[in-house]
Amino acid sequence: MIGFETVASPVGLIIGIVCGLIPLGVGLRYGHVKAGVWGFIACAVSGFACGFLGGLPMILMATAVVFSYAYVNKQDPFTSRQSLEEVNFEETTAEYVIRQFAAFGRTLRAMGIGLVRNKGGFIGFLGIMFFAIMSIFGPLVVEYEGSPRMDRRESPQSMTLFQLPSNEFPLGLDWQGRSILSHIVYGGQTLIVTSVQAGLMATLVAVLFGSLAALLGGFVDQILSAFSNFILTIPQFPLLLVLASILTFTSNFMLAVLLAALSWPTLMRAVRAQVLSLRERDYVEAAITLDLGLYHIIVREVFPNMVSYIAINFIFAIRAAMYALVGLVILGMVPLREPDWGIMIWNAQSRGAFYNPNAMMMAFAPIVAIALFQLSLILFTRSLEEIFNPRLRRGL
Amino acid sequence: MDAIAAGDAISDEKPVSKNTKNFTKSYTFRVILQGIITIWAATTFTFFLVRLLPGNPVSIRIDQLMQQGYTIEEARNQAATLFDFNPDEPMLQQYSTYMVNLVQGNLGTSITSAGTPVRDQILRFLPWTLISVGSALLISFSVGILLGIMIAYWRGGVLDNVITALASILSGIPDYVYAILIILIAGVQLQWFNVGEMRGGVTQGIPAGFTVEYISSVIKHALLPVITYLLATVGVWILSMKSSTISVLGEDYINVAKARGLSEGRILTAYVGRNAMLPLVTRLAISIGFVLSGSVIVERFFEYPGLGLQLARAVGARDYTTMQGIFLVITIGVIVSNILADLVMGWLDPRVSLEDN
Repeated sequence: MIGFETVASPVGLIIGIVCGLIPLGVGLRYGHVKAGVWGFIACAVSGFACGFLGGLPMILMATAVVFSYAYVNKQDPFTSRQSLEEVNFEETTAEYVIRQFAAFGRTLRAMGIGLVRNKGGFIGFLGIMFFAIMSIFGPLVVEYEGSPRMDRRESPQSMTLFQLPSNEFPLGLDWQGRSILSHIVYGGQTLIVTSVQAGLMATLVAVLFGSLAALLGGFVDQILSAFSNFILTIPQFPLLLVLASILTFTSNFMLAVLLAALSWPTLMRAVRAQVLSLRERDYVEAAITLDLGLYHIIVREVFPNMVSYIAINFIFAIRAAMYALVGLVILGMVPLREPDWGIMIWNAQSRGAFYNPNAMMMAFAPIVAIALFQLSLILFTRSLEEIFNPRLRRGL
Repeated sequence: MDAIAAGDAISDEKPVSKNTKNFTKSYTFRVILQGIITIWAATTFTFFLVRLLPGNPVSIRIDQLMQQGYTIEEARNQAATLFDFNPDEPMLQQYSTYMVNLVQGNLGTSITSAGTPVRDQILRFLPWTLISVGSALLISFSVGILLGIMIAYWRGGVLDNVITALASILSGIPDYVYAILIILIAGVQLQWFNVGEMRGGVTQGIPAGFTVEYISSVIKHALLPVITYLLATVGVWILSMKSSTISVLGEDYINVAKARGLSEGRILTAYVGRNAMLPLVTRLAISIGFVLSGSVIVERFFEYPGLGLQLARAVGARDYTTMQGIFLVITIGVIVSNILADLVMGWLDPRVSLEDN
C-alpha cells in the first residue's frame, strides 16, 4: 500500500481520509471551512484512487490552497490591510513557510482557472479524467469476466456467443460470451500506464539532452543532434515492429523504455531550440547581469517559459506511445495479456468479429475508447498553455 | 561553422559574382552528402540489428535448423545461404559483402517462401504502396492547403470555426481507427460496399494493362486505404497551412501588394499561398514516413497488397530476410524523400540554401 496504485482500494480510502484531516484542520483553524472540506474531499479521493503516493502530494496541494485563502501577506504593502508604516518586513521561519505555501496555493488556483478557461481544453481534461476514473474506480462496480461463458447462448441454435448491446450487457458480449463492458473498464489500465511511463521517460531524456546540447554546444551538441536526426529519419513503426520481432519483452516497463527510446528526438530538438532562444532573451540577460545566480536564472527565468511547451510535448509523447503500443498489439507483436483494448481488437480480427454484424461491438467499443482517449489528449494540450504559461495566467 | 569558414575561404579567393553559385552547389552537395551518410548509417544499423542483437535472427535460424536434425555445420551453411553471408568470415568482411550485395540490389532470399528473392517480392508489392500512399498524400496535401488558405483568409467566420474544429478532431485520431471504423460501419453495418470484394490490389482475373477495366479496378481497391490516409492526414495540413498563412498575412509585402491595388486572387495565390506553403514542403517528406508507418496496420485491415502488409506478414512469420529488405526499402525511401524535400526547399526558397545550420 506504500506506493502509487492505479486501482481503488479500501486501504487507500483510509489513507486518503487520514491525509484529508490536514487540510480540513487547517481550514477549521483559519475559519475557511468550505476550502478545508474541499481539501478533505480531494485528499480522500486521490488517496482512495492512488494509495499513499496519491494522497501525499494532495495533502501539500490542498493545504496550500487552503492557506492561500486564509493567509494575508503582511509583508506586501498592496495586499496587507495594515498601513505602510505598520507593515512588518521581518518574519519568523514559520511565517516564511506559510507565505511560500500560500503563494504555491495561489499558483494552483490560477492554474485551475487556466484549466477551465479554454473550453476545448477543459473538455479534453474531462475526457482524460473520465478514462482515469473508469479505470481506477470501475473495478469497484463492474466485475471482470475472464473465462468463457457458454451459458449465455441466446438460443440453442445460435452458432456464436456474440451479442449486440442489451440492458443486461450495455456493450454486448464478445466471442466467448463475456461482457465487453468489463473488458473496456479493465483494459485501459495497462495501456494508459505504459504510455504514460513511455511519455515520462521520453520527456525526461529529451529535456536533459536538449538543454545539454544547447548549453554545452560544440561537440556534444553535434553528436546529440546527429543522433536525434538519425532516429527521426527512420520510420518509427516499422522499426518498432522489427525490434519487437527480435526482442522478447519480459515486462511492460521494458516496452515503455523501447517506446521512449524512439520518441525522444522530436522534443529534444524543440527543447534545444527553445533553450538557445531563451538564452538570448533580454530578461535572461538582465538576470545574468544582475548576478541573480544560476539557480534563480534556471528556476525563475528559463524554466517557467518552457514548462507549457514541455507539458504539451509530454502529452504528444504519451499519444505517440499509445499509438505505437496499440499498433503493435493489433499486429500481435507484443505478448500483452487480457484485459487490454488492443488485445480486444486483435481478438476481434482473428475471431472474425469484423465481418459479423452482430459482433460489431467487440471491435467498435475498444476502437472508440482509444480514439476518444487520444482525442481528449489532443484537446487537453490547448489548456496546458493557459495553465503553465505565467503570462497567460490571470491574477487572483 | 564549417560552411561559414568555407564561405570565407571562397570569398577570399574568388570574386563575389561566383559566390552565390558556389553556395547553391555546396548546399545541394551538403544535402545529398548528409542523405548518403544517413542511408549508410541506417543500413549499417540494420546489419547489426539482424546479426548482433541477443536472440538475433541468424542464430535463431541456426537453432531452428539444428532442432530439425541438421548438424551445426549444415545449419550454419543453410542460414548463410538464406541471409547471403559466410559465417566463417570475420564480421568486418561479412559487413563489406552485405554492403556490396546491397548496392547491387541483392537482398537475400525469403525464409518462409523459399527460393523467392526478397528483391522480387519488394518489386511486386512496392507499386501498390506507392499508388495508395502517394495519391493519398497528394490529395490531402492539396485539399489541406486550399482549405487552410481559405479559412486563414476569412478567419473568424463560420467556415473557419467549423473546419478548424473538424480538422483538430480528425488529426487527433490514429489512422488505424479510421480503417476499422470504415470496415465496421460503412462496410458491415451500412453495407455501402462489400468488404470481401475490396480486398487485394485489383479484382482477380482482370488482365493487367492500360484498359479502363483494369485502372478502374485499381482505383476502386485503393479507395479505402486512400480515404483512411486522407482522413488521418488532412487535418494536420489544414491546421498548419492556416497558421502558416496567418503569419504570412502579417508580413509587410502583403500590405504593399494590397496598396498596389493587386487583385485579391493574385495576392492569395502569388504572394500569400506560395510563401505560406514553404514550411509545409519539408513536412511533406516527414509525413511520408508517418503514412508509411501507418500503412503497415492499415494495409493489414484492408488486405491491401502493399509493402506494409508484407512487412507485417514477414514480422509475424519471423521471415527476417524479407523483413530486413522491406525495412531497408522503406527507410531509404523516407531518407530520399527528405533529401528531395530539402533540395526543393532550397530551390523554392533561396534563403534556405544560404543559411547555415
